[in-house]
Amino acid sequence: MIPIPRSDTDDAKRMIEEHKECTESMKGVAGSTILKCATPGDTTVVSGGIHEDFQLNRVLLRMRALPAKGKLVVICTKVEKEWRIARLSGIRGVPPEFVTDKVYDNEQDPQHDIFVMRLDEMAETDGFPEHFREGWKRRDDAWTVT
Amino acid sequence: MSWMSITGYADKFSVHPEDKIKFYVNCDGPAEYQAEIVKLIHADTNPRGPGFIEEKIAAEVNGTYPGVKQEIYSGSYGFVTDKPQFRVGSVTLQAWIWPTTPRTHPKYWKHGAQGIVTKWHDGKGYGLFIGEDGAVEFRVNGEVLTTGAPLRDHAWHFIAASFDGETGEAVLYHEPQIIYALDPEIPPVRKTLATKLEYTPGTPTVIAGYTGSFSDAPQAKASVPAGILIKGHYNGKIDSPRISSKALTRLEIETMKMGAQPGLTERRGSGPTGKLSESIVAAWDFSDGISTIVGKDKGPYLFDATIVNCPTRAMTGYNWEGQIFDWKIAPKQYGAIHFHDDDIDDARWATSFEWTVPKGTSSKFYAAKLTAKDGSEDYIPFWVVPRVGEETAKIAFMVPTISYMAYANEHLANNAGGAELLVYRVPIMQQQNMFLSEHREYGGSIYDTHTDGSGLCLSSRLRPILSIRPKYDHFLAQAPWQFPADLHMIYWLEKKGYNYDVITDEDVSYDGLARLENYNVVISGSHPEHNSGPQLDALHNYQQRGGRFMYMGADGWYWVHSYHPAYEERGRGVVTEMRRCESGIRTWRADPGEYYHQGTGELGGMWRYRGRYLHTIAGTGMSSEGFDISTYYSRTPESNDARVAWAFEGLEYDEKLGNFGLVGGGAAGTELDIVDTMLGSPPHTLVVATSAGRHTEGYLLVMEDFGFNQQGLDGTQHPRVRSDIAYHETPNGGASFAFSSIAFCGALPWNNGDNNISTLVGNVLNRFMQDGPLPAPPSAAVIHRGRADYDQPLNKARK
Repeated sequence: MIPIPRSDTDDAKRMIEEHKECTESMKGVAGSTILKCATPGDTTVVSGGIHEDFQLNRVLLRMRALPAKGKLVVICTKVEKEWRIARLSGIRGVPPEFVTDKVYDNEQDPQHDIFVMRLDEMAETDGFPEHFREGWKRRDDAWTVT
Repeated sequence: MSWMSITGYADKFSVHPEDKIKFYVNCDGPAEYQAEIVKLIHADTNPRGPGFIEEKIAAEVNGTYPGVKQEIYSGSYGFVTDKPQFRVGSVTLQAWIWPTTPRTHPKYWKHGAQGIVTKWHDGKGYGLFIGEDGAVEFRVNGEVLTTGAPLRDHAWHFIAASFDGETGEAVLYHEPQIIYALDPEIPPVRKTLATKLEYTPGTPTVIAGYTGSFSDAPQAKASVPAGILIKGHYNGKIDSPRISSKALTRLEIETMKMGAQPGLTERRGSGPTGKLSESIVAAWDFSDGISTIVGKDKGPYLFDATIVNCPTRAMTGYNWEGQIFDWKIAPKQYGAIHFHDDDIDDARWATSFEWTVPKGTSSKFYAAKLTAKDGSEDYIPFWVVPRVGEETAKIAFMVPTISYMAYANEHLANNAGGAELLVYRVPIMQQQNMFLSEHREYGGSIYDTHTDGSGLCLSSRLRPILSIRPKYDHFLAQAPWQFPADLHMIYWLEKKGYNYDVITDEDVSYDGLARLENYNVVISGSHPEHNSGPQLDALHNYQQRGGRFMYMGADGWYWVHSYHPAYEERGRGVVTEMRRCESGIRTWRADPGEYYHQGTGELGGMWRYRGRYLHTIAGTGMSSEGFDISTYYSRTPESNDARVAWAFEGLEYDEKLGNFGLVGGGAAGTELDIVDTMLGSPPHTLVVATSAGRHTEGYLLVMEDFGFNQQGLDGTQHPRVRSDIAYHETPNGGASFAFSSIAFCGALPWNNGDNNISTLVGNVLNRFMQDGPLPAPPSAAVIHRGRADYDQPLNKARK
């Protein structure tokens, strides 16, 4: 594994910028990924992002694999109009809770804000022996789908 | 925050003209709501498409109705109504248990004591429980014996307890069957109780729960028995529960494990010994009647338990040996039922209104649209389907209702941390997901695990299914999926003026070929992944006899499904069952020995492993999936073959086919099928277009296509990560066109239906819908072909 870069490093700044360009270019696509559309909102030609920035690719994979408890998600609060960021409870029957008051007017901006939030929240040593916890003994890593 | 104050369902998916359909509505808050029948045309709210389109139908049921709250009482259990023989003075209870959540988080939705075998209510009666601390409890009226030793989850334990009404002596045994080196010993707990057993009249005997309360509230009629609310739902397996009317010794309890054993004496007492036969009140044997919703009692009173909310049966018991894997061959090793606190077979709501579908009502997608003044809204979809022999069109759209049931009330974005790896972006949840995240009583999908973490393999349509809704984007696609996605095709049929009927999986499964044979062409949904055997037989027979088939999606014909026979009297296709066995894309995996369906006894899992390759149905089969973005197709030279060139009239050879769309931004996306003559594609199949080489790293080869984990499986590397549009002829002037991508139909509404995917589909449909056999292919095309002919070395050798 590679360490999660600290937010103030050049690596992190480069990744944040690349990530932002990708999410901006995906506005209007019904779906999204961290790649750049040559024509905004059009997936005919895509490049950059996870296909060309290896470090960004790996860091995103590690973020996506975080356990469900406390994991950041996007909630659409008004269809096609409003989105907000929330956190999963990790407990069956306990719904996600909003974590910010910010209301987005598109699906892509919260994707980017969550990326930046996770860079701050994840330990540099995430996934290394320093982070051993008992949950490793019974799959709380959540790599399996359920 | 309150998410959905109106929810509802109907008693039918598919209704014939002149038949009645009942609607059940929960309106929790608004004093009244408006109901109107609408025809659904387009469900996708995406501003880059035509937007949401419905047409109001003048129906006699349209009107205002009082808002009534209705509740779902989920959680499975067995019960026997109050009988004097259970009202004993002394008692012994025993059972094998395999608990899955002996302890739960304080915020867990049903945190608290769990009942194993109980005749107990509010401090009166007896019962074996698991206490809130996870230890076994024996309750005698208000007295509680506990071992104080938390049960190990996912392990077999034998538990028993006795109470002597004369001496007051009570004993509780907890005997784990798996003991590790550092486990403390759990001695029997003994206590003398100064109490005599008392009973609250009407208290049923309950297995996997206890009697919580008696209620006169109207909504409590939805509980079983009506008005009695069962609480303390247990998560886990129970095998061989017994109730005796004496305080048995430990040795007698050991002998009683054998159960009634009527064959052991020549006088055929209820056994297991003559002496013990005198004290048996009930000795249930869940290995008998696995395909039913009855828990058989082999004791003298025949106290068969009514099994409520369809727990999972055909589960390995405490005595499973790992030698036989089919419960039909060794039922005695399958005496366990796995109960779950979120099982639900039927919401059992009171009828809110009903509609007799007028004669002549067009066969289409409909919904009861429910709205309240506060802005609350829900839609209850249904389909008007002609009776067999009364078809009204040459075209049938086959609504994949089994697949809708498989995905019903899916919770992955909320429960599955790893779901984000699958979709390659942060999941977006909608009001339906938020509502379900706190209303687990609505049950989950066959993609979910139960609240106890075990695989969910049964899904009922008699409950509100919030994923079968218009205006609903699914996190997998960040776009419509299944039901709302299939309306992309419906919009296109309407826009282009085609006359079509709709039929459902249910209709085809029950009516067989008769349901299909009067149509010139049958069109599938975008993701017909889950299918019954009779349905696949009907599709095959239809094409064999000259029928034409348009496979509008991908990842079809994948999983074995069966409708549970125990629910036939409530209607067609009420409960569907599916087991996720050793291969395939699985969000959970069945445990060893638990691959056979409890309803029909057939082997579950992928049709591929039943010898029925996916590619045999329409010519292509699932090869990869990824959910971030979609891409487009390019034609191959085979598209110029005279056998199929007609499909490309009006299209340039170099045109980018479908580099637009409402699912992922392209026609080739989410889940993709390819031609493989070694997996059942007919050897004469033509690959007319492909998306090869254009998919992202988010797309991965399906696991059943490789035997070894290795790098190079994603869309930027693997040659099988692609979608193939394919064509082949079937006998007697039939044919199949496979479009092979779930995102495909999302391209049809683009530019109001005026685009090159629309042209291609129109060319195919116009040819396929014509009367009589299709024109014969050129005679030169009729040649001997082997399956492996396309193998390069073989081709070279032939030349």
